[in-house]
Amino acid sequence: MSTLLDVKGIHGGYGAVPVLHGIDIHLDSGEAIGLFGPNGHGKTTLLRMVSGLLRPTSGQIVFDGKDITRAKPSTIVTAGLVQAQQGNTLFGDMGVEETLQLSAFSPPARDGWKTRLEEVHALFPRLAERRRQLARTLSGGERQMLSIGCALMCAPRLLILDEPTLGLSPRLKGELREAIAAIAAKGVPLIVVEQDVEFLLALTDRLYLIEQGEVAREIDRDNAPDHKAIMDMYFGEQAH
Amino acid sequence: MDGVLIPTLVSGLLLGSLYALMASGLSLVWSTLGVFNFAHGALMTLGAYVAWTVTEQLGLGVALGFVAGVGAAAIAGVLIELLLVRPFYESRNMMLITVMTTLAASTIIERGISMIWGPRLKQLPRVIDGQVSIFGAPVSSHEALIIVLAPAVLAGLWWYTGRTRSGRSLRAVGQNQDAAALIGIDVPRTFSLAFGLSAALAGLTGVLLGSIRFITPGLGADPLVNAMIVVIFGGLGSLGATAGAAYVIGLIEALLILWLGLYWTPSVLFVGLILVLIFRPNGLFGKAS
Repeated sequence: MSTLLDVKGIHGGYGAVPVLHGIDIHLDSGEAIGLFGPNGHGKTTLLRMVSGLLRPTSGQIVFDGKDITRAKPSTIVTAGLVQAQQGNTLFGDMGVEETLQLSAFSPPARDGWKTRLEEVHALFPRLAERRRQLARTLSGGERQMLSIGCALMCAPRLLILDEPTLGLSPRLKGELREAIAAIAAKGVPLIVVEQDVEFLLALTDRLYLIEQGEVAREIDRDNAPDHKAIMDMYFGEQAH
Repeated sequence: MDGVLIPTLVSGLLLGSLYALMASGLSLVWSTLGVFNFAHGALMTLGAYVAWTVTEQLGLGVALGFVAGVGAAAIAGVLIELLLVRPFYESRNMMLITVMTTLAASTIIERGISMIWGPRLKQLPRVIDGQVSIFGAPVSSHEALIIVLAPAVLAGLWWYTGRTRSGRSLRAVGQNQDAAALIGIDVPRTFSLAFGLSAALAGLTGVLLGSIRFITPGLGADPLVNAMIVVIFGGLGSLGATAGAAYVIGLIEALLILWLGLYWTPSVLFVGLILVLIFRPNGLFGKAS
């Protein structure tokens, strides 16, 4: 299997504050991987670098054979690497339908946008009901659905979801997880950031534990930890 | 009263149309980048002078002069963005720094114009000659053209920002730059687009002003202040708010001139604007945020 995304030795952070200390992750085409770990240890920073919103100080990011380490975000999206940010408001004063239409922005995403819009509506019927509503009047769950819907409108060849169920009620969490599983089932390669390791293990092929700006552990189905081991990873073994 | 009121309302409509044209471009840059372009007035002046050169000196006619004036302003606008705004995107104080850099651009353009075109007053020929009557009030055809053109331009802008891909991308960038970048919008290029479009609107305003006022290097100074007042009074928001504020201010100004005379009108208008902003701090049409 060929490598779709290869992140090699990424260092960097915000201004003079380093957050990442040499991260290596990779994803083969047709694969789904998960990232987890405590908050504030660099997961979102890493994803911002992969999408070109932040420049690493050293290291290399290769997507589909092309070096995108210093590419513009728009070039990266055009290449098919698309990210849905954590529950933000996208464009507060834009309607739901308008936002989805606009998201088919890059040249490769323009063809077949109507079909993809129908797919997004099928996946999230709530977005079809609220098509005329402004994004800032949506609930947290609906915003998250819109965020994922927009990413799907970009015609992703690799989809990154950053904590898609953060702060949602258990019922909504379940609803979104079903939708994400449906996206994965269509064969879209995924990188999902989540705190719920059991959900990630069910959804993805491999997991990376990101801790203090490094990959602390790589987990696949063969060496899957039990519940206690996961708690240890989060809270440290000295707590016991 | 009837004989005075209608001409006053028509002249208010003309003022409102000019204010709307001046302010729409300023508002476009503000809502996309969060920057006030203090060179907006100088861009109007530049448009008027280039149009004059093409029309009068080169003798190529008003139509070509019109196009050249608008085009020259647009190019200058893009250059201002590239050279004087883009280097400061990452800066925390972008808004304050760009006040300084665009003021610098304004000075440079005005001085450059003085050097190139000299101090002699110039005037553009009217786009159309003759007079028409609006509800019985006689108006020059050129002024009637402005009254018709302004709403048409605003409607065109409204359609552009609401219905087209690139127009919508301007709004998206104005509302959330990261999210816009993540759906594949080239944010810096969108900033250039906003500046270019805004400057084209400034150029258009300058060309229209150039045939109802004398063209001097300071032609755009007053309109810049007026445009800023309109944008702030409207609530620093959408195109609709800016356009609404332009017409409200234009009509009130015309009525004040009728009742109080030219001398006191600016002061009373300012007091009125301040009072409105005390009770509606987010502007006349602004959203409480």
